[in-house]
Amino acid sequence: MIRFENVAKTYDPNIVGLEDVNIHIERGEFCFLVGHSGSGKSTFIRLLLKEFEPTEGSITVAGRNLQRMRRSALPYHRRNLGCVFQDFKLLPNKTVADNVAYALRVTGQPARAIRRKVPEILNLVGLGDKMNNLPDELSAGEQQRVSVARAFVNHPSLLVADEPTGNLDPDTSVGIMQLLYRINRTGTTVLMATHDREMVDKMRKRVIALEDGKVIRDEDKGLYR
Amino acid sequence: MHFKFFFNEAVNSLVRNWVMSVAAIVTVLVSMFVLGLGLIMFFNFQTAISDLRNKLEVEVFIKNTASPDEINGLGDEIRAMPEVKDVGFISKDEALDRLRGSLKGHEDVLDALSGNPLPPSYEITLKDPQQIETVASRFFDNPIVDNTPGTHDGVKYGGETSERLLKVTTYFLIGGASFVMLLTVASVLLISNTTRLSIFARRREVEIMRLVGATNWFIRWPFIMEGIFTGMVGAAIAAIMVMLTNRFIIESVVNKMPFLPFNSEAVPMFWLVLLVVIGGTLLGSVGSGLALRRFLKI
Ligand SMILES: Nc1ncnc2c1ncn2[C@@H]1O[C@H](COP(=O)(O)OP(=O)(O)OP(=O)(O)O)[C@@H](O)[C@H]1O
Ligand SMILES: [Mg+2]
Repeated sequence: MIRFENVAKTYDPNIVGLEDVNIHIERGEFCFLVGHSGSGKSTFIRLLLKEFEPTEGSITVAGRNLQRMRRSALPYHRRNLGCVFQDFKLLPNKTVADNVAYALRVTGQPARAIRRKVPEILNLVGLGDKMNNLPDELSAGEQQRVSVARAFVNHPSLLVADEPTGNLDPDTSVGIMQLLYRINRTGTTVLMATHDREMVDKMRKRVIALEDGKVIRDEDKGLYR
Repeated sequence: MHFKFFFNEAVNSLVRNWVMSVAAIVTVLVSMFVLGLGLIMFFNFQTAISDLRNKLEVEVFIKNTASPDEINGLGDEIRAMPEVKDVGFISKDEALDRLRGSLKGHEDVLDALSGNPLPPSYEITLKDPQQIETVASRFFDNPIVDNTPGTHDGVKYGGETSERLLKVTTYFLIGGASFVMLLTVASVLLISNTTRLSIFARRREVEIMRLVGATNWFIRWPFIMEGIFTGMVGAAIAAIMVMLTNRFIIESVVNKMPFLPFNSEAVPMFWLVLLVVIGGTLLGSVGSGLALRRFLKI
């Protein structure tokens, strides 16, 4: 599903983001990306989104080489890749339902499909009764659920999350974690960058540890350490 | 297909930035209105020029010092010209009578004159307006024609007036065109600035659109539509104002000052309005396109 080959990313005045990264993640895997602040987790995720190009190496997602992908194909790549961030990225002046519908609308889906899919996905994340609330009227955990719903509403084959529980208390984090786990069980590959030691240790999933841009550990059923 | 989405986004954005939007609309309005006025003037002058050109008359003024023999000789000469259809002689007294007639109610100004300073003249009607220059030029160097030395102002014919009018029109066109150009640049810059502001105001939306895989054109369209709206609204108001100006102001000017060569029917209004509206729309799309190139990195 994801293949990094000798990937390096150097930011402008010679700052190492990633260095010599070789990673292969299978379809349907659940995988944690851990490491200290500045170790390169976000760089890894932004490379997957093709927000910028690696300085060296090549990245393949869902069988498609990102460096050879045409600019016009980029939107379709991103439709197949849901993403969730620490800061939710919701539109404050749109209701929960409209926030999710927005993602469908701007990818050109017909109104009928939108009317069907939005309540369906919001029920799945447990927000069926908050559809018409504004994001401000929701708790942080609920807002993150909305953002997960938006990322998953198109049923992408890959879901990436950059510290999705970074702003949440432990109990709420567990809820989000369970949601991501449920999504993974539908066959979706999930990659989650996190600082949350307890969560990683409890889940016993594959753990990729980064330090100063290098992979220092990659083990199945691993611990945060 | 997604027209409603783009439309709503564009309108919301216009309303949110209404001060800038109004400023942009007003500049488009002014530039397109000035363009329209300029064209009204242009068409009017154009019509006046061709009217004058088609006038068949040449007037030849004769020096007060000319003897009756010389005057009659000139008359015979004129009658012998093959292009001439008709000749009339206006004596000094007739000229004064005509002047008195045109001064109805103010005849007393003539009392200030000592004697009759008006020259006698021949009024020549031609068979074909094409020959007017040829015929008129025959009198330029005639010693009994009342020319100020170095000129030929003793010969009056449509061609001469139309040359002068043409010169005025040319200056007018150059001046008007540069003014419109300046206003056009100003409107493009203002529209591009409104678009810049709305790109800034909607940067979260743009970020999310990119994230969920909206195509570049899908992201751009609402901004372009915003620019086009701004341009169209400004141009539509300008078009209405141009029509009203032509209909009422030009007509009332013509009524009060009939000697001016204006005529509200001289203007092909349909094409003018079309031009103004297309012009405004173009300004709008160019303005927002510029801002998108500079400020919306996709
Ligand atoms: N846009 C940028 N320009 C320059 N340097 C950058 C940029 N983004 C990240 N870096 C640098 O690259 C390195 C890796 O950053 P990255 O954001 O990937 O770390 P991270 O693991 O996500 O950290 P955190 O846990 O704090 O989010 C850091 O040294 C960071 O300072
Ligand atoms: Mg990060």
